[in-house]
Amino acid sequence: MTTLTRVSSPSARRRISKEFWRSLGMWLIFLPLALVVVIPVLYMFSMAFTLEANQLKFPIEWIPNPVTFSNFTKIFVDPQLPIVRWFTNSLIIATVGTGIIVFLSSLSGYAFARLEFPGKNLLFSLLLFSLMIPAAVTLIPAFLLLRDLKLLNTYHAIWWPAAASVTGIFLMRQHFYSIPVELEDAARVDGANRFRIYWQICLPLVRGAMVALFIFAFLGLWNDLFWPLIVLSERAALTLPVGLLVIQQGSYIQRGLAFAGAFIASVPVLVFYAFFQRKIIAGITTAGLAGR
Amino acid sequence: MTTSALPARHTSSNQRWKTLRKQLPNYLFVLPHFFFFAVFLLYPIVRGVQISLYDWKIMLKDQNFIGVANYQALLRDRMFWEVLGNTAEFMIITVIINVILALFVATGLKHKFFGSDFLRVLFYAPGILSVSVIGIIGIRVWDTQIGIINYFATTMLGLPRVSWLGNPDIVIPALALTTVWWTFGFPMLVFIAGLHNIPEQLYEAAKIDGAGHFGTFRHITLPLIMPTMLFVVVTQFIAHMQVFAQPYIITGGGPGNASRSATMYLYETAWKFFRFGYASAIAVALAAIMIVVTIILFSIMRRRTEY
Repeated sequence: MTTLTRVSSPSARRRISKEFWRSLGMWLIFLPLALVVVIPVLYMFSMAFTLEANQLKFPIEWIPNPVTFSNFTKIFVDPQLPIVRWFTNSLIIATVGTGIIVFLSSLSGYAFARLEFPGKNLLFSLLLFSLMIPAAVTLIPAFLLLRDLKLLNTYHAIWWPAAASVTGIFLMRQHFYSIPVELEDAARVDGANRFRIYWQICLPLVRGAMVALFIFAFLGLWNDLFWPLIVLSERAALTLPVGLLVIQQGSYIQRGLAFAGAFIASVPVLVFYAFFQRKIIAGITTAGLAGR
Repeated sequence: MTTSALPARHTSSNQRWKTLRKQLPNYLFVLPHFFFFAVFLLYPIVRGVQISLYDWKIMLKDQNFIGVANYQALLRDRMFWEVLGNTAEFMIITVIINVILALFVATGLKHKFFGSDFLRVLFYAPGILSVSVIGIIGIRVWDTQIGIINYFATTMLGLPRVSWLGNPDIVIPALALTTVWWTFGFPMLVFIAGLHNIPEQLYEAAKIDGAGHFGTFRHITLPLIMPTMLFVVVTQFIAHMQVFAQPYIITGGGPGNASRSATMYLYETAWKFFRFGYASAIAVALAAIMIVVTIILFSIMRRRTEY
């Protein structure tokens, strides 16, 4: 008895047990929601490895029996479903597009935070105003413009409209503001010009914001369906999300193929998410608060 | 006085010219983005309004100017009003459930407990999946014969099968719930951040005053979370009013037109029937409605914030 109290004082023990009960209570509340979130995703994974013949089984066969890769091999051998090409397209579009967005946003964000020039406020209000305009209005003219430039079914059709996006600028501007002005003044005294100050002094200091912007722009471009659906129509030019619709069309009503395709599109982002979850969640938090 | 003013003005304009020349290179920072912004955002906005005044067909060389005829046709277009109603219903259900669920979960996850960080990551996870994947999953979640929901309803609860997507009264709530599953993680994270900004002393003071859980929520959390709420409601409204892929993939707009959304109607008018002029009118009308509602939302919530 006496040894026990010496090891853990009653108050500490009470605190630990209070913590335990609180955690247990929270889990009782949130476990059903967690299951609702998880089950459909696990179902997709399971169905990707389920034989076409077993796809329509009821009650549902949660664990595939047997586990098969036939859905994947069927996609890979079908010349009408160039999924490797789609994957490559998605990767190039998302990577380069993200690079463009991050670079342009950091340049503009820096100017709006730190530099003076006539018309700065007007320009900034214009960017803010554009946030109010739903994408619906710009779809048709942007499509017609790209058609006239003969850029439909090319990567450019995605990259350059993406380069016009403004949200990254607000994020970068917010972070450039937080850099002490004295740092730049010191560099200026040392004779650095404004481009060197931006590139060598300020940019490294907002690396965190750039990584966050990179992650969000990448996920956005990788997952987008609507715009690629409009400007990409040739089989070989499609991205994965549009390709997934093709897999579900016409003679491909085989459900297993759709799930295998969904698996291929989802696993990279889920792994990406698992790696960067801390950054992603911190990024949303700051972006959300900046948005206020 | 007058003699001294002249050279002074001269130097000041000289000074101004000097600063301007010094500031001129600063434009190089904003110009690259502004170029694409102008080409792919500003110009299309103006151009979109212009196209809506034409009977624009993609094959024609010379387009036919018809004034506001597209808008007059739009007012009489029963389909337009139907898809607008569908979209509004979808948006209202999605936003309300998203906001309530997100705020509820955020209140629970605000304080750390064993596994709270894990739950945070988990609840946001569906949000990083492509809407194409959500569609493929959604088809099977709601399927009448082999769907997950009917599986649990029949095997665990002993309920009869329901044709969720075949019933025009249920199809929109079903799509809305699918969307909530996909998107509630974002407002949840924003709310958690917002809740952390409320000073803890306020809660302690309320506790001393003997306020209950509901009372603290009603009189402290709710009023102080209003700025965050404004941000969440406006972004959610803008996002879900433009819903396209969920009905496009999961129901194809059916049964009949019961789940066809405004953006889907716009897409089909332009890229299935190639009536770009009429589609532009739909786009402009939709944009006008959304801008007006956004402004109304802002003014209502601003007033409620300044209590």
